[in-house]
Amino acid sequence: MSRKMILRVPKFQEPKRMEKSEAQRLWLLLKDAIVEVQHMNASTLSFEELYRSSYSLVIAKRGDILYTGLEEVNNHHTKNLLDKIAQAVDERFLIELNSQWQQYKLQQIMIHDILMYLDRMYVKEPQLKVFDLGMFKWKQNVLIHSQINDRLVRMLLGLIHMERNGEVIDGALMKSLIQMYVDVSLKEKETYKQEFEERFLLATSHFYKSESNLFITNNSCGAYLKKVEIRLIEEEARIKQYLDESTGPKLIKACEDELIANHMQTMIEMETGCRTMIQNDRFNELKLMYRLFQRVENGLVHLKNEFAGYVRNEGHKIVNQPENLKDPNALITSLIEIRNRFEKTLSQSFANNRDFINSVNTAFESFLNENDKLSESLALFIDKKLRGGFKDSNDQEIDVIMNKVILLFRFLSDKDVFKKFYEHYLAKRLLSGRSFSEDLERTMISKFKQECGNQFTSKMEGMFTDMRLSKDALDGFKNYLQTSVEMGKLPKIDMSVRVLTQGFWPTFPPHSCTLPPLLSQYCDLFTKYYCHAHTGRRIIWQTNIGTAEVTFRLPKKTHVLALSTYQMLIMLLFNDAEKLSLKQMAAGTSISFMDIQRSVKPLYSGKYKVLKRTPAVEKSKELSENDIFELNLNLKCKLHRIKFAATSQTDSEPERQHTRQRVDEDRKIEIDAAIVRIMKSRKALIHNDLIVECTKQLSSRFVPQTSMIKKRIENLIEREYLERFPDDRRRYRYLA
Amino acid sequence: MENYLNLEKLSNDLKNLFQNQNQNESYFDFEIICEQNQISFKAHKSILSSRSQYFKSLFKSKMKEYQENKMILKDVSSSILFPILNYFYSGKIEINLENAIQILIFSSKYLIDELIQISSNFIKNNLQIETIVDVLKLSEAMNFN
Repeated sequence: MSRKMILRVPKFQEPKRMEKSEAQRLWLLLKDAIVEVQHMNASTLSFEELYRSSYSLVIAKRGDILYTGLEEVNNHHTKNLLDKIAQAVDERFLIELNSQWQQYKLQQIMIHDILMYLDRMYVKEPQLKVFDLGMFKWKQNVLIHSQINDRLVRMLLGLIHMERNGEVIDGALMKSLIQMYVDVSLKEKETYKQEFEERFLLATSHFYKSESNLFITNNSCGAYLKKVEIRLIEEEARIKQYLDESTGPKLIKACEDELIANHMQTMIEMETGCRTMIQNDRFNELKLMYRLFQRVENGLVHLKNEFAGYVRNEGHKIVNQPENLKDPNALITSLIEIRNRFEKTLSQSFANNRDFINSVNTAFESFLNENDKLSESLALFIDKKLRGGFKDSNDQEIDVIMNKVILLFRFLSDKDVFKKFYEHYLAKRLLSGRSFSEDLERTMISKFKQECGNQFTSKMEGMFTDMRLSKDALDGFKNYLQTSVEMGKLPKIDMSVRVLTQGFWPTFPPHSCTLPPLLSQYCDLFTKYYCHAHTGRRIIWQTNIGTAEVTFRLPKKTHVLALSTYQMLIMLLFNDAEKLSLKQMAAGTSISFMDIQRSVKPLYSGKYKVLKRTPAVEKSKELSENDIFELNLNLKCKLHRIKFAATSQTDSEPERQHTRQRVDEDRKIEIDAAIVRIMKSRKALIHNDLIVECTKQLSSRFVPQTSMIKKRIENLIEREYLERFPDDRRRYRYLA
Repeated sequence: MENYLNLEKLSNDLKNLFQNQNQNESYFDFEIICEQNQISFKAHKSILSSRSQYFKSLFKSKMKEYQENKMILKDVSSSILFPILNYFYSGKIEINLENAIQILIFSSKYLIDELIQISSNFIKNNLQIETIVDVLKLSEAMNFN
């Protein structure tokens, strides 16, 4: 049989109510001890005895005596301290206040330790915890007392003011006194905020308002920016040194408002300001400005707009400069230069900020499309480079230039115009054998391809294919001639033919002329050979873009003349005549009078004159039908081979017009296609929506004019692709 | 990952440190005397103050006990003080029907939260009809939560 185990409860007397006198005795014991602590005489007291007394009072439900007693003792003590502190004069005031405060805080910690049981088991909300009670009494009786608070804040602000003016102050003292405001705050640092922070921020704004106004009127913008940066660093340090960290953002905001936000307009417009910095590539100053403006709301917007405005203005000047309008090379070179310059500004000063880059790009788009010159100028620029301008550049430099070309190209709104010009000059380079390097040609084209896709470059690539196939055809033709029976009967000439696929190449205005019989025979032979090899093809001879070499026999000397086909025809006429008028030349060759004029001009007015005008007239005089020429038998030239330009290097106005016209023709087709595509998928659409959609679809190639789209719609209605709704004339329906 | 620590050994070593009361190698620097039966225990200020908020405050105050390196406890029997001091060192304590209530009284007076928790759980689990009234009365009187 086992004894039942039960919990042992100690022998327990019903707690007799603690006698009032006993409670009083314990309280007096504690009170004396607290007073001793407050006089820094605690070392002879028994901690355990005091702790036990406080415990006994709480257990006996007499915690109230202790708590209210404590409150009174603290009250009394702080009032005594007030008098002591208030009597201190001048700087002694801060020192006295600080030393009393430091002691008081230690005492309150000790009192809290002794009364830990009271604090944990007796104190209930809304009563203050023992330590907080001590803090509250200090605040009530010392800190916010009229003899202390105002004096203290004024002195603290005075010291900060001195420090801002370059004097050295006691940072540790500042920290302790300012922290006191935080320590006595019961929640959310309210005493600190109300009594100190608010006035401090106000004083700060005031200080920097007057300093910044004065400084900016007497100094350059660059100096001002540096000053601001230093001030902000100082204030950051101030926060760490003696302010509460919660003040940090507010202080910095106040400084930024006064130092930056309020002066942004001035810093942009002043003589030494943003504009001048941009003009003079002051990258470091701009970088500082960017960094500072970034800190305030909308700061970067101001800076960005200013910069973009400058870019637009500079670009506008370049694209309208008369010298640049005459010289495409200079124009594009200048544009690449400013692009480089602004890219440098963007990267060195503006951290390659996306918004900045975008607005610079928008600026480029706007001035590059200000006039329609740019497409052609860019095409001519590349033409010059690919005709040999790249000769002295290494691969890397070439790549850089090509990429810049692509960059400018990207900003063009009428890419189709550029494309036409590019094809035009490419054709000329290929046909005249003036292209410097096929590799470079192909590299350039591949860059366009990357940018715009296959469609953009298919014709250009077709031209290269034609060139290759022509070479094969010509080799075949030469073999054919050797085996051909007819060949035996003909004198031998060296003929070179290029077969151009229609569609790949720019259409050259059709011209006709009469070839000499020998040449005609050769042409016929080639046609026969070619059409036999490629059934179903038709050859149209484009004699106006050909070249020829002719032997020019003078009494004492022989030269070889490199001529255009037309010039050759004209020169051949002189085999049978001594003198010819232009009218006779035209009749003899069936070349139009205008082409005669253009062909003859280099022959008599260039450096080497194989023709002379009789009678001699001023060079500049316009040619007329009846002007008469004869061979210049006195030609003096050391060269054996003399090369003559076919026509002037750049295109004449009519040719340019022609290119333009072809662009317009192509555009009509593109617009028609776009309209039909849209209507086919949408079936019915309101006029405006159709215009918008159409413009959107075409925008990667060109910006169509609304009037042109309207005309095309009309045209498509006539051709019965579309019709108007009978009840709503503004709506179209697609007719399948 | 932390290296593997033999916490069992640590606990044992510290227990031995405390329990070898008469050895000089323990470097005791403090003495606690139970007034009831005049039994005293030697201990270390550093251990006590690191394990108990009460002792931390007691030493920090630099009052009499700190100056004299000893303290006198009234109303506490050595049979309770020993396991509690042992707990401060080793982190272990055996709570049984005999000592549970005394340990709760002590730890609630000196605010040793972990022991309050353990001992009051033990008591709750061992309440019986015979003792429930007494325990409730005591609980009320001693300000247990």
